[in-house]
Formats: sequence, structure tokens, C-alpha cells
Amino acid sequence: MSENTDASTSPGVPAEDPTPFGWLTTADHKRTGRLFIVSALLFLVLGVVLDLLVRLDLTSASKFVSLDVDSFAQGFAFSREALVLLFLIPVFLGVAIYMVPLQIGASNLAFPRAATASFWIWKISAVVLIGAYLGNGGPYGGWANGVDLHLLALGGLVLALLLGSVTVATTAMTMRSPGLYMDETPPFTWSALVSASMLVVSLPVLLGQIAILYVDHRYGRVFLFGNYGIWERIDWIHRTPQLFIYVVPVLGVAAEIVLAAAKRRVFEPIAMYFTIGLVGLFGFGAWTNFAITGEGADIIDGFEGVVLVGLYGGALLGTTGLLGLLGLAVIQNRKLPKINTSLIAAFAAGKLVLVGALVGLIGAAADWLEIAGRGNDGNPQLRMTTWVTGQQSVLIYGAGLLGVLAAIHWWAPKIWGRQLNELLGLLNFLVIGAGALLAFLGPALSGLLTEQPDFVYADPNATSLYADWVDDTGAEGLSALGAAGVTILLIGAVILLLNLFTSIVLKKGAEAVEDPWSAQSPEWMLPSPPPMGESGELPMLTSGTPLLDESEAEEVNA
Amino acid sequence: MSDTTPTLASGRPQRPRAQLVGTGFACAICSMMMAGALGFYMARRHASGPHPGHDWLDGLAVPNPQFDYALLTLVASLVTAHWALWASRRRDTAHAWTAIATTIVLGLGFVNMVMYSMNRMGLEIGSGEYQNLAFATTGLALMIVVVGLLYLGLMGLRSLGGSVGQQGSTSLGAAVFFWDFAAFAWAVTWYTVYVVK
Repeated sequence: MSENTDASTSPGVPAEDPTPFGWLTTADHKRTGRLFIVSALLFLVLGVVLDLLVRLDLTSASKFVSLDVDSFAQGFAFSREALVLLFLIPVFLGVAIYMVPLQIGASNLAFPRAATASFWIWKISAVVLIGAYLGNGGPYGGWANGVDLHLLALGGLVLALLLGSVTVATTAMTMRSPGLYMDETPPFTWSALVSASMLVVSLPVLLGQIAILYVDHRYGRVFLFGNYGIWERIDWIHRTPQLFIYVVPVLGVAAEIVLAAAKRRVFEPIAMYFTIGLVGLFGFGAWTNFAITGEGADIIDGFEGVVLVGLYGGALLGTTGLLGLLGLAVIQNRKLPKINTSLIAAFAAGKLVLVGALVGLIGAAADWLEIAGRGNDGNPQLRMTTWVTGQQSVLIYGAGLLGVLAAIHWWAPKIWGRQLNELLGLLNFLVIGAGALLAFLGPALSGLLTEQPDFVYADPNATSLYADWVDDTGAEGLSALGAAGVTILLIGAVILLLNLFTSIVLKKGAEAVEDPWSAQSPEWMLPSPPPMGESGELPMLTSGTPLLDESEAEEVNA
Repeated sequence: MSDTTPTLASGRPQRPRAQLVGTGFACAICSMMMAGALGFYMARRHASGPHPGHDWLDGLAVPNPQFDYALLTLVASLVTAHWALWASRRRDTAHAWTAIATTIVLGLGFVNMVMYSMNRMGLEIGSGEYQNLAFATTGLALMIVVVGLLYLGLMGLRSLGGSVGQQGSTSLGAAVFFWDFAAFAWAVTWYTVYVVK
């Protein structure tokens, strides 16, 4: 990737060391951000391939791919962990590590070395995680030490992501340019702060659980029966409502891009911050569903239905409010904004967060109110079927991946100094959009119509049942639809990497100017990409939209 | 950059509270980690059956006086930690050094007493459900205390090694804040695992 390491614009700030040792010990948030983004995109391919293997297995027990029960369970667990802990959280963390200081006029992160340490701990833990799975470890592994290794790697990943989140949240709270108040910060910075803060108060629960699981599995397995019992206690981090916390930055990206395209401020800034915060807030509490109630102390027993309806309803309300505010800004402009990859991907990603919340609300309401006999007469609740897989797909692949596509196309000039190929970008949007839609529809319809069970993780017999789920209800066909969607998504992920490679590494992309999009926020006042010590170039900020302020002042003067 | 860009000042943003806010986030992480572990502990205890009637402790006797003394030692270390902060704000290096050293000695004494109490209790890892859960939860709480000790020692050296100024006091204040939290985390763990059991 291209790298502006030549010089520092601020006196006393050294140029970065271009050697590998320099990358290892860098204190430049931009390098750390790039490392996170590129690594997470590579891990995306791994996660999608694993998900594809699992979904292909569900299309038929004998054709295409035939995994035995253990391999199926391992593949399922690995794909979820790869998509969430190796792709979705770190990719937005990387964008936040890069962009937040630039957006608030800070010279660097609050703890730049901690951010670098977070990347390397994350990377090493990711390698250990892959090694544990390859050695037949993982939550369903047959190699006991490998299972322990998997738990340690998981702990390392969570610790690293928490460290990165603390640096981002502390930077947004304490390093803003004097005069730039919290209610003036650009929406992406606010969404990064919300997401990081919510990660800080939710993910550590997993650390506590991992400590206990590790001790018990390593020493005697007193209450863990074999390996069964691990996955059911850690799976909450891959499910809603926790998933909403991971996609909060998507809302920030959408707000940033749509408002810039509309060339307007949001109608009511406080309402925008409130709606983004609401989605993060209603993402909290997933661990109470599975980790605690699963142990028998049902702290929300009897209220689970209403609690879930409340959480999904709140997330839906927040997303609807934000999209409404953005829509008003577009209408206020009275002319259609110029269409580009970032804009349509951001718009679609925002909508898909809404769809994810709606899908959750429908499932929770149907279970709670026992609509169509759900939860009665032997009918499984919707959240016990592949309806949940559909919801995961729409949030991770739909909202998450399209949000990443939007963010990378939008900020590529600022991150790498070159613009990505727009035609390839539009094609990429169509491919990812179509893939995400099919990946969502297949399992969601299968759960709704055929009652195909969600992966039942505690009971070996039920696992076997799931892995060999073949009957005449049509589940096979719908699983094939989902598998086709994931295949298309794999093509989409490859196109995204290809676009980055040709535009940035092969330097085919147009060299970026300071502000190629006529955007609003402070980072576009800096060179593309900004050199080290960029704050010397920034004026004291009093607004999150200095470029819009400037153009409006020019209009008034004219 | 355009000439019309508002150039009020080329002020490099200050970071007066960054360490304190970062420490606050670290405390939040540790709180939720302990909540997860203790929630797990309580859920397993609840699931193990009605009490009394089922011997959850598996015949183990908790040495209450030793654990109580350990807690009192930790409380005493809070007083000396705040003494260090008080002294550093007054640029009284001699008192600050003495107070930090005393805090660290008391902290190490606390860790030693807890280890001794667990040993005296005959808590053997892998020998039962309570034992494994007690080891994991106590281990996490002790880890927070040890991190707090290291943080306090490091910030003490940093702030007192140079000069005891406002910036140094802020760093030490962040470390003392974390130490307060570590004591609270231990108190909750002790009450859950060794008092309520």
C-alpha cells in the first residue's frame, strides 16, 4: 500500500521508520489503522469460505461437501468467530483508529502505542486461533490442548479489541480540538465512540466466562461435559442484540456520506447523536440471554420475550429515526445527490441495519405472542430456527460488508492517497448486495417455512440432527439459496480486494486531491494521505463541518 | 488549504484527562469481566441445587479470619494510596515516596494472605465445581489487584522520578483510582465467593 512516510509537517515529529521494525513499533495511528483494515479484509475471505462450506453441507448430506458432525460443528464455530472477531469488529476499529484523530483535530490517538499493541495482540491471537482449529482444537475439537488454546486465543482477541476500543473512545472524549464540542463531532466519530464504549461494557463479560471455561476444561472438566458447553456460553457475541453494537459504525458512515452528498447539515444534530446512541444502547444485554439464563439462574425468565421485543424495537426506532433525519437532509437540498459507490452502499447498509432490527423484532414478537403457534404444540420458536442465521447474515454481510465497502471507497483517498475504481465499485455493490440478500433469504425462509433448527450447540445428538438436516420440507432448496448467496459474497469480497490491489498497490487509481468528494468534515482539509503530525496543519476546530461552513460563508459573501 | 479556512489558532489539542478517562474505561472492562465471572459462579451455584441440603463447598471450610484480615490490609492500602496522592499534590516528595512504598508493601501482603488462605482452605484446582469456580474468580480478582499494584508502582516512579507536578499528580491520581477500583472488585469477589459462598 502506498505510504506517505517521507516527512512530517510538524516540527519535532520524526518521519516514520519504513522498515518492518517500524511497522511493528509504530506510534502512528494511520499505520495501525491500515494494518487493521487490510488484515481484517483478508480474514473476511476466510470467514466467508468457512460459512460457504457449512452452508453447502446443509444443501445435502451427501452432495457437494459432506462434513462429518465434528467438522461441521468446528466449521460453523470458526466461521462465526472469523466473521465477527477477525473481520467485522476489527475492520471498523481500524477505520476508527485512522479517522477519529483526523476528524477531531488531534495529532494522534490518546495511547498510540496501545493501539499498535492491540493490533499485534489481535494478529497473533488470530494466528493462534487458526492454529488451534487446524490442530483439531476449537470448541468442538478432539485435541484437549487445542481446545484450551482456542480459549486462550479467544481471550487474546477480545483483550486486543478492547484495548483498541479504549484508545478510540478515550481519543474521542479527551483529544478533541479545543472548541469542538461533543455535539459538533462528525457522525462517524460519534458512532465510533458509541460502539467502542458499548464494546467496553459488553465484551469483557466473555473474558470472565473464558477464564472459568479455561480453568474447568483444563482441570478436570467438572461441569463441562466433554467440549459441549463451551460454544453455548460464548455464542452470544455472534448474535443479536450484540451484533447491533458492531454495526453502529455503519450508521456513522452512512450519516457521514449521505450528509456530504446532500451538502447539508442534519436537521437536528442532537437527534442524530441520540438515534445512533440508541442503537448501541439496545445492543447491550445479549450475554444475559445465553450465558446466565443458560446456567439455570433465569434472571429474565418469563420476561425474555418482552425484553427482546423491547431491544429490537429500540434498535428499530433508532435506525428509523436516523434514516429519517438523513432523508430530510437530502430532501432539503432539493436536488438528487451525485450517485457513487460510497453513497449507494452507505444508503443500503443503513437500510439493512433497519432490516436486521425488523427481522429480530418479527421473530421476538412471534415467539412472545405465540403467533402461528410459535413455541406451542411442538413448534419451535423462531429464534431456535435458522431465522437467526438469516438475521446474522443481513447484519454481518448486508449492513457490515456494505458499510465497509462504503467506508473504504469514501476514505480510500485519505487512507492510501488514491481513489478506487468507481466502475468496479458499483459492480462490487451489486454483487455484495445480491449475495447478502440471498444469504439472508435462504436461512430466514427456511426457518420460517420449514422450521429448520438453528445450530443446536449443547447436545451432541441435536448437532448430528442439524448437520444431517435433510427432509422433504424444502429446507435443502432454501439452504442452497443461502449457499448461492454466500458464493456471490465470496466473489464480492474478492472484487473488493482486487479493486484495492489494482488501485492502490498497482497505483491504477487516480491520485487523490485534498477533498475529492466536496465533503464537510475536518479530515478533508488535510493532504491525502496526511503525513505524520497532521494536527499542525489543522486550524482550531469549532465545528464538525468546517468545509461546509466555509462554502456557506463564501455563498453569503458572493 | 484554502485561505478562507477559519484559522483561529494552530493549537495542538491538549490531553489533560486522557489517562484518567482511559483508566475509567479499564475499570469498566474489569467490572464487566468480574460481573461475567461472578454471574457464572452464582448461576452454577444456583443450578447445583437447594442450600442447605447440598454441600456446595464439598467439605471445605473457609478460613474467615484470614480472608477478613486480607481485606483489612487492602483497606489500609487505600488509605496509604490516597496519602501518596495527597502528598504528591503538595509536592511533598518524601511523604509521597513513603506512602507509595507502604501501599505496595501492603498490596503484596494482601496477595500473600489470600494465597495463604486458599492454601489453608485446601482449595485444590480440578477437585470440584466450587474449587474450579473459586480459583477462576479469585484468580481474576487477584489479577486486577496485581495490575493495580504494577500501575501504582509505575506511575509512582514516573511522577516522583522527575518532579511532582500537576501532570505527575494526574498520572498518580489515575493509578490510585484504579487501585480503589481493584479493592472494590476484590471486596465483591470475597463477599460472593467466600462469605455468601
